[in-house]
Amino acid sequence: MTAPGAGQPRPALAAPVLPAFVGRPTAGPREAASWTPRQVIANNLRSVVGRAYPRIRGLTREPSWVLFEMLLPFLTTSSFVFVYRALDAPQAYIGFVVLGGAMTAFWLNVVWMMAAQLYWEKDQGNLELYFAAPMNVMSVLFGMAVGGLVMSSTRAAVVLLVATVVYGVTFSVSQWGLLIAVFILTLAALYGFGMMLASLFLMWGREAWHMTQLMIEPVYFVSGLNFPVGRLGLLGAVAIALIPLAVGLDAMRQLAFASTGVTGTPEPWIETLILVAMTVIFVGLARILLHSMEERARREGRLTVRWR
Amino acid sequence: MSGSIQAPAIDVRGITRVYKARPKDVIALAGIDLEVAPGEFFGLLGPNGAGKTTLIKILTTLLLPSAGTARIFGFDVARETKQIRRIMNMVAGGEQSGYGILEAREQLWMFSQFYGLGVREGWRRVDELIDAVGLGEQRNQRVSTLSTGQRQKMNFARGLLNDPWVFFLDEPTLGLDVSAARAVRELMVGWRAAVPGRTVLLTTHYMAEADELCERIAIVDRGRILAIGSPAELKRRVQRESIFRLELDRLTGGPASLARLPGVLSAVAATPVRADANSAARPTVAINLVLHQDSALAGVVAALDGLDAHIVALAKSEPSLEDVFVELVGRGFDDEGDPEQPPRRAVEPHEAGQPEPEEANR
Amino acid sequence: MIEATIGRDERFDPARTRGQGRADLFRSFRTAVALGWKMEANWTDPVLFFIYSVAKPLASALILVFMLQVIAGPAGQALRPFVIVGSALWSLVVSGIAGLAWAVLDDRERYRMLKYIYVSPSSFVVVLLGRGIARLAVGAMGAGITLAAGVLVLGVPFDPGAIDWPLLLAVLVLGLATISALGVVMAAICLQTRQDSWTYPEAVAGALFLVVGAVFPLSVLPDPLQLLGLLSPLTWWIAGIRQALFPGGPSSIGGTGSAWLRLSGEVNPNDLQIVLVLLATGAVVTLASAILFRVGEGRARDRGLIDRTTGS
Repeated sequence: MTAPGAGQPRPALAAPVLPAFVGRPTAGPREAASWTPRQVIANNLRSVVGRAYPRIRGLTREPSWVLFEMLLPFLTTSSFVFVYRALDAPQAYIGFVVLGGAMTAFWLNVVWMMAAQLYWEKDQGNLELYFAAPMNVMSVLFGMAVGGLVMSSTRAAVVLLVATVVYGVTFSVSQWGLLIAVFILTLAALYGFGMMLASLFLMWGREAWHMTQLMIEPVYFVSGLNFPVGRLGLLGAVAIALIPLAVGLDAMRQLAFASTGVTGTPEPWIETLILVAMTVIFVGLARILLHSMEERARREGRLTVRWR
Repeated sequence: MSGSIQAPAIDVRGITRVYKARPKDVIALAGIDLEVAPGEFFGLLGPNGAGKTTLIKILTTLLLPSAGTARIFGFDVARETKQIRRIMNMVAGGEQSGYGILEAREQLWMFSQFYGLGVREGWRRVDELIDAVGLGEQRNQRVSTLSTGQRQKMNFARGLLNDPWVFFLDEPTLGLDVSAARAVRELMVGWRAAVPGRTVLLTTHYMAEADELCERIAIVDRGRILAIGSPAELKRRVQRESIFRLELDRLTGGPASLARLPGVLSAVAATPVRADANSAARPTVAINLVLHQDSALAGVVAALDGLDAHIVALAKSEPSLEDVFVELVGRGFDDEGDPEQPPRRAVEPHEAGQPEPEEANR
Repeated sequence: MIEATIGRDERFDPARTRGQGRADLFRSFRTAVALGWKMEANWTDPVLFFIYSVAKPLASALILVFMLQVIAGPAGQALRPFVIVGSALWSLVVSGIAGLAWAVLDDRERYRMLKYIYVSPSSFVVVLLGRGIARLAVGAMGAGITLAAGVLVLGVPFDPGAIDWPLLLAVLVLGLATISALGVVMAAICLQTRQDSWTYPEAVAGALFLVVGAVFPLSVLPDPLQLLGLLSPLTWWIAGIRQALFPGGPSSIGGTGSAWLRLSGEVNPNDLQIVLVLLATGAVVTLASAILFRVGEGRARDRGLIDRTTGS
């Protein structure tokens, strides 16, 4: 086997030394390898921005998401609104559906663009470049979350605002501060959950894709997407303890529709604490899992083995 | 450059790597020892499945060795991964990584952020490198629309973003046409020459590429290094005899009449260059002559008169790296061979310039 | 050399360029179905079976059953068959619409095989349909399990002897053809969109959910949406299946205050009307899907989208 053109007289390689090739002057390899804590932090923060960038640019490059990620989901939410209308349900239940529809945006984003993403990155050959780069891969996961949040927040806001206006939802917020805190904590717990799943799914192949499917309708049901989760009894309690969507949605419903007296679940402040605990646990577990998965992948050589 | 650069750029000791597989484990590396000096352009030459990529994966911290140690400028590949990742980069042939929805410039900037460059510094460096690798016209083109050659140039620019001290190139010209491959090879040479101490480890199965670029080459097969040396040294190993290709207008008595001459080890018929039936030229007789030494050629030339033969062409055959490989392994790159059979001749790795090791059968 | 290795009978046969017509089409379709089966729908894999044929469709139905329960309490029992049948059929619709689109995205982005399929002599749309059939089959299994769970666990009254088999057969055939046509449209769309469009088929299905009377009667919708629903073949398909399985049950199309009543003067459509309207609207959708696929395919070729990978 010879290189193309082998066997024919070859002109000697011209080796232009361009200024770009000189690059940044560094003292030497060992010195260049020693970064200050400030450099490490800066590298990780920039990596978050770097990974968020393609997601945000992607939104402007392909505007089809406006139809598929905003208008159509609004119609889906509307379907459930009409189910309640067909049943002559109290107006507050329309509000429950609208809030559930808005929060679905974040959940779907976590499932599709976080949980299964590292598996995707592996499949596309990006993951080995991430692991071979100096930043912590957790920063890449944060970047994905930030990039994904831009789209999902837009979708959630549109569904919430339009549905509120069209279907005449009235909110009765008692504690604005707590409601905002719960919303932010819900997002933190949700994306922490996504980061944890991303690490887990890294070791799976096609199974990861199937597992994401398991996290759509079944999770919607146990999280009480369109009805108060408390009505599920023990199943609802388990969901509140384990699924950030369930606990966050329930807390927000209690706070945003205070006058309806949603019952059967813990008080909002308890659910706030659950969300804090979930955030810490999920992000912590994501970190541990990612590290151990990376080690395992390095040991078993599976990091770069593509599933087909 | 500090004194620390004097540590070996790459120091590999007894590396083995076994992949768990069914029906039996695959031994990708079976005990590799290797030392690459700072500033060296080093090649790993071997057929597919020789273990080259596995070694690169270990050195780039993507894979742990099953046994043995490896260090990059003194940093252990198993434990000091962060330090290594700050001073190395890698590019593989046929690499399709990245995000097709981004433009080439944006994709490179994203990676610049991963490699520790500042936001503005990243854009500046990206623009600089895009021009340097000859992608100026494609800078705002989406990655998914780049040609294979353009994509590889972009990958090359990505690999240079962090000014690595060690650059791992895994079959970087795979699938490229002649001019694109040449452009990539020029980039490698130009980049390394820009700063003393920059080290390149190139894996390839293109013999001519290794010959052209590498100061030293390790010939690898089935997870073992069979020989290490400069291309010239490796070629000298197989040139124990003088080999000539002799083309005559005729030869009474055939090649056997030459084989009897003093100093001639063998004389066998070869295919004449002008043996093509449609050629208007007269047919010739081609012979491969193997002599004890060059001086025996005089006796052969003198004997030709008596055999009523006249020389049409005479050339000394220079061995190629392929000959070296065939000599060491007993088969060519394209031959699958029997995986159960050991190489025909395996020698311990040694430093260039040292005496040739004893031949050893394994 | 070539002469020596290729026999006289194996020389290039110009007739091959013409293919073998239906035999080729059938072979492509059969191979694609087998591939889809292996990749997506292997029912012998308990995990896949559970996810696609049990968990997803049952959970979808349970969401609605609980909504009913929360609001209507025991009184909602009467509406359960309506909701469960609609929900079960809807899982079939979602599978049918998503199957082809996911085959496009899978083969382009993950397996990178789409270009090879596209340039093969097989009909591109036939191969995609074959891949989609596997998912449709999974959806059908899910629908069956949901209906069975509805009857056995959720107390849906069901009399197998009352099934109107001719109606069921007619609407099933027409409906599945229509669902496949919608899948073809979705595949044409996903040929244009980026990797992250996995959710698009479900978004489209979710939007259609609003106007087809799957889980609530059309009469609760504003008039424009009701009219839109009446133009959708899926509305008639679901109504037809309901009518075939539960003859005399509540209709999603007619009833007091419905646009159907105002337009036709009849309370509910009869069996023949359902079949005829399904046939007509299904034919329009199928024709439109063929045109849209051709346009989408042409655009993808024009813009070099067949063999790209995107990602973000």
